[in-house]
Amino acid sequence: MSITVSSIAAAVARANAAMEPLEQVLNDADAKLGDGDTGGMLARVIGKMAKVDLASVADPGAALSQLAKAATLATGSSLGTLFATGLLAAGREAKGRETIGVGDLSGLVATARDAMIARGGAALGDKTVLDSLDAVAEALKEAETPEQAASAAAKAASDALDAFRSRPNRIGRARMFGDQTIGIDDPGMLAIKELTAALAG
Amino acid sequence: MKKLMNKPSDFVDEMLDGLVAANPSLALSGETGRVVHRATPIRKGKVGVVSGGGSGHLPLFTGYVGEGLLDSCSIGNVFEGPTVGSCMEAIRLADGGKGVLRLYGNYGGDRMNFDMAGEMLEDEGIRTTTVLGNDDVASAGPTERQKRRGVAGIIYAYKTAGALAEAGADLDAVTAIAKKTVDRTRTIGVALSPCQVPGSDKPSFTLGENEIEMGMGIHGEPGIWRDTLREADTIADEMIDRLLADKPEGPGTRASILVNSLGATPLEELFILYRRARAKLEAARIAIVRPLVGHYATSMEMAGASISLCFVDDEIEALLAAPAYCPFWTVTA
Repeated sequence: MSITVSSIAAAVARANAAMEPLEQVLNDADAKLGDGDTGGMLARVIGKMAKVDLASVADPGAALSQLAKAATLATGSSLGTLFATGLLAAGREAKGRETIGVGDLSGLVATARDAMIARGGAALGDKTVLDSLDAVAEALKEAETPEQAASAAAKAASDALDAFRSRPNRIGRARMFGDQTIGIDDPGMLAIKELTAALAG
Repeated sequence: MKKLMNKPSDFVDEMLDGLVAANPSLALSGETGRVVHRATPIRKGKVGVVSGGGSGHLPLFTGYVGEGLLDSCSIGNVFEGPTVGSCMEAIRLADGGKGVLRLYGNYGGDRMNFDMAGEMLEDEGIRTTTVLGNDDVASAGPTERQKRRGVAGIIYAYKTAGALAEAGADLDAVTAIAKKTVDRTRTIGVALSPCQVPGSDKPSFTLGENEIEMGMGIHGEPGIWRDTLREADTIADEMIDRLLADKPEGPGTRASILVNSLGATPLEELFILYRRARAKLEAARIAIVRPLVGHYATSMEMAGASISLCFVDDEIEALLAAPAYCPFWTVTA
């Protein structure tokens, strides 16, 4: 079993549909730490990605790059740019391969994670979307089928959110709230949990 | 806070529409609709100078697009970085085949977006370089200058890099003069009252009725101290003292000074500050060249002012004197 351009398109459509109920949830989560726009921003980004016609795209890598470019038009926010950075890096790594195997997914998520660390300057453990992706990359190592991959990713993202809830945010605007962020979910981590759940659902 | 606006979500786009409608030298384009560029296309063979940043700071950043200054500028929502897409469009519009200097303020989000835009354009064969404005002395100590934020003083680098690019210099030379100008420019601000982002139900920060904050950033970032308002001369003295304490190595007997309103503070008060600042500088044996007093880099309706010093050498001074035209800053030969 492998990941194709059409399965990527289907995943984006699914994520886009999931954003409708999620938008307000993420905005509310962000309002506790920032300006309450994480949901609206992600809805714009994923909505723009869903409009990309992937029918004529050669391979999964090129599809990811096209999606990254669409994302860059939709937002100037740091989380949105990091999201596009991860997609672009994964797309570059997969470039030229006709299909992506389930066994490649862990490596691609790790590539996205590392590109996002390099771009944004956050470290693992800072309680950001990076910690979710790190957990997802680890969990995907064991997956053998697309179904296993989807459920492993969803579980890992959910566990990461739970594990980091009791820790403080250490970067970005949320950092200014210091220990007040203990007990509060990071909106980016929450987004990864909900989106992976939607893909596994 | 009262504002003349329609829907908050239309604030930036309607502002840009009006800006270009009032100024035929400017044009607005791009898929994002958030790129301001010169109405006349870039001359083939000229190095491009591009900037960008959030809205809410006019004349910064878009207002400095013009002859002898910027070629194009990407613009974000109020106090938000421009999108990567708009940065790419701005860089393409500033590409005359000889490369493009990205010259913008040192903010994490802007850096991410411009870096990514540059990487994505490498595939198109456009060579870019980067110089970051980091003139705000209150935002980090002298040993951590690379961490300082960029504020009003970046306009000096716009002017010198823009003039050198107009004169036909190559990308390395334009980049070097921008870097040198940034390295020789220092700014400090003082805030008297806060500002409010359109659509938000509260100000970005609060200040007591009789309180001021020395060193506050242009988005309300915390400064050095917060205390009661004092006389203008006392404030000007402290600002100049702090700038001189941070004076760069090298030539230091001539400086251009910029006394800038953060938005609501009137010209009258700026001239009161200027008069004292000038006397302080003369007492320190620093001659003032090309003083600027007015609204050059604002934070919506924030009250307060910033003072910038650009310690010039012969090269910078000559480039500051070169002809330039944009809607908010004209230099004639």
